[in-house]
Amino acid sequence: MKTKKWIAITALLTLVAGTILAGCGKSSEQIQRTDKSGEEVEEKPWTGKITVWDGPRWADANDNKYHWLEAKTAEFEAAHPGVKIEIVQVPWAEMPDKLNVAIAGKAWPDIAPVDISGGAVSINHIKQGVIEPMDEYLTKDEWADFYPNALEAYTYDGKIYGVPNSITVHAMLLNLDLFKERGVDPPKDGRWTYEEFVEKMKQLTFDRDGDGQIDVYGFSTYILPGYYEAWPFLYMDGARPLSEDLNQYTFDDPKAVSALKKLSDLKFVHKLAPPEMGGNDVGGTWKAWAASDQRMVAVEPWATWAIASAQTDKWKTNFMVAEYPIGDSGKPITIGGVGGWVMFHEENDGKKKMVAELIKYLSSTDEQYTMAKNYGVFPARKSAAEKNPFIDNPQMAQAMNMAEQAVMLPRHPDWKKIDEAIQTQLQLVLNGEKTPEEALKAARGPVEEILNQYK
Amino acid sequence: MKTLVPYKSEKIKYLLKDIWKNRVYYLFLAPKMVVFTLFIAIPVIWAFILAFQEYNVFGSTWVGLNNFIKVLNSEVFYVALWNTFKYTVFTVPVHVVIALILATLIHPLGKIAQSFFRAAFYLPTVTSMVIIAMVWRWIYNFRFGLFNYFLSWFGIPPVDWLGQSATALWAIIIMSILTPPGVGIILYLAAMSNIPDTLYEAAKIDGAGPFQRWYRITLPMLKPTTLYLVMISTIGSFQVFTQIIMMTKGGPGYATETLVHLIYKTAFRDYEFGVASAQAMILFIIILFFSVIQYRLLSTDHD
Repeated sequence: MKTKKWIAITALLTLVAGTILAGCGKSSEQIQRTDKSGEEVEEKPWTGKITVWDGPRWADANDNKYHWLEAKTAEFEAAHPGVKIEIVQVPWAEMPDKLNVAIAGKAWPDIAPVDISGGAVSINHIKQGVIEPMDEYLTKDEWADFYPNALEAYTYDGKIYGVPNSITVHAMLLNLDLFKERGVDPPKDGRWTYEEFVEKMKQLTFDRDGDGQIDVYGFSTYILPGYYEAWPFLYMDGARPLSEDLNQYTFDDPKAVSALKKLSDLKFVHKLAPPEMGGNDVGGTWKAWAASDQRMVAVEPWATWAIASAQTDKWKTNFMVAEYPIGDSGKPITIGGVGGWVMFHEENDGKKKMVAELIKYLSSTDEQYTMAKNYGVFPARKSAAEKNPFIDNPQMAQAMNMAEQAVMLPRHPDWKKIDEAIQTQLQLVLNGEKTPEEALKAARGPVEEILNQYK
Repeated sequence: MKTLVPYKSEKIKYLLKDIWKNRVYYLFLAPKMVVFTLFIAIPVIWAFILAFQEYNVFGSTWVGLNNFIKVLNSEVFYVALWNTFKYTVFTVPVHVVIALILATLIHPLGKIAQSFFRAAFYLPTVTSMVIIAMVWRWIYNFRFGLFNYFLSWFGIPPVDWLGQSATALWAIIIMSILTPPGVGIILYLAAMSNIPDTLYEAAKIDGAGPFQRWYRITLPMLKPTTLYLVMISTIGSFQVFTQIIMMTKGGPGYATETLVHLIYKTAFRDYEFGVASAQAMILFIIILFFSVIQYRLLSTDHD
């Protein structure tokens, strides 16, 4: 009697466990069928849940900033019965921390938007196998449609770890009302030399109400690890932080020192920048240029998102986009970034195929065109750029032209540490505590210490 | 040796019997213990183990004391340690003294006035530090800030409080000092209410004045509360973080870098959980060291 009871309990438990496991869509396997000759004839597509993390993008009439992804995932679900997509809304500012915590807890999403150079996911994650290579999921022709520098950003050790969906650059935003107020001509075609830039910024620095205090400054920016608005100034004379092979620190050579001096001179010699220039107040710097009750800085450098932002009702500004001033290198330069979708580690091949399918769907030519038109980024696909998304947006078109000048940040696995070692020194130059020579030399020690670990 | 085994098993038997006998109490304790085990004990033990490993998502490797050596060889760690120490030394005593003074002033008041001041001074404690830091960021704003506005009354030029190495940490210390120590006031008020009136009456009869009564009776009777406050304030100060990440992010340079901010960056920016755990263990030892010293110094005549 007792034995029977135990058999019954065991059978019941097995049944319950089996039902639960079968219900877990995540683990459902692809089924392959073969015909009499042994050839593979059918493959049942994977079904289950895919988790997608995304940040807020452009709003619809209901102020829903996730409407684009919601619509796209609904279309994908309809085309792939049995696939359910869960969208997790993550503010962009929290994305790096949340992804890092999720990775540490092995609770990562299936897909997330990641700028490999932006800090959310690093080369170390790729080395650890957290990110899946995407090479096999797109054809050679499909990969050929992406800009080479966009693909390069996601390439490590010969494999591509993500599908680029946007390119961003940093550009100078000029408040044209202030230019007009002072009778200063904006640079022709948005191009100027450093000397021309200084001259115009001087004219734009003025005391409006005659109280002896400067009310409007020509230029301002901020310095903070992980932010690169000021960095094209440091590149203007041809300097780069690391050697090509990423083994040497090169940011204390004369070209770097002269470039940093040119940047700090704007504040301390030419006095055309406010005393808070070079601080860490990102929001305050933006408001000083864009807020309608401030507008106390005529020119600020920003990443591409700011162009779209300055075209919204909240920050509506009469502005134009210009290049960074040309230094001794003789050509304009800017810092670029690449955004894209990455697939996180997954054991199930069927699911990997489905996730890759979704990434492809979200990164199609049409979607990149839509994203460019509405979200203020440049397409990473040539075919999307050829559709001319900025035909009615000259500011974005001007910025897109600058993409050719874009230099990507060094792709060192410990770039974030190197960046901090340099940027903390830059802060001390722009608050007047160190000279450019002292600061860039002081960064050598900690940077070399990091580089030596990889030799 | 032979007697040890039955003795041990007897002990376990007795323990189990005791648990069964008091099962209702243990049942009530269980939820808290489960939460404590899951969210405090296990993470602490795991962090301790991690401190000796190089973290990797798919399997960490044992590196012995390498993480500790790495931490102790890092210049930034010592800068952060010094800044944290400076912050603690200046904020803890001032906080405790302010709490004591305010409690002393509030205690003799009527019930309604006492309730009002209790609530008013406790309010910042329930307000998010993020909000407080944002307000103070505005107070220190170079152009629109309240501080520079006051300075302008005396013809003093504005100061970039958070942008200069010489002033940034002090600005954060001042902010912490000027945030009312709500917990301290409440605890002191509760402790003052427990001091028997007879002590004050006897002192009065002996001719002791108000200050003497406060100095000779109130202060010594508050010593256990003071010890508790000093200890929890020291622990809290060594863990200063929100103000730093909200106001300076450790800058300019490393002028306001603190230990917990450094641990946060090492773990969540550099993804070096092993090194971050080693930093956390060192911080734990430092806090333990100071807590023991404080306990020894302040608790001697109350044991």
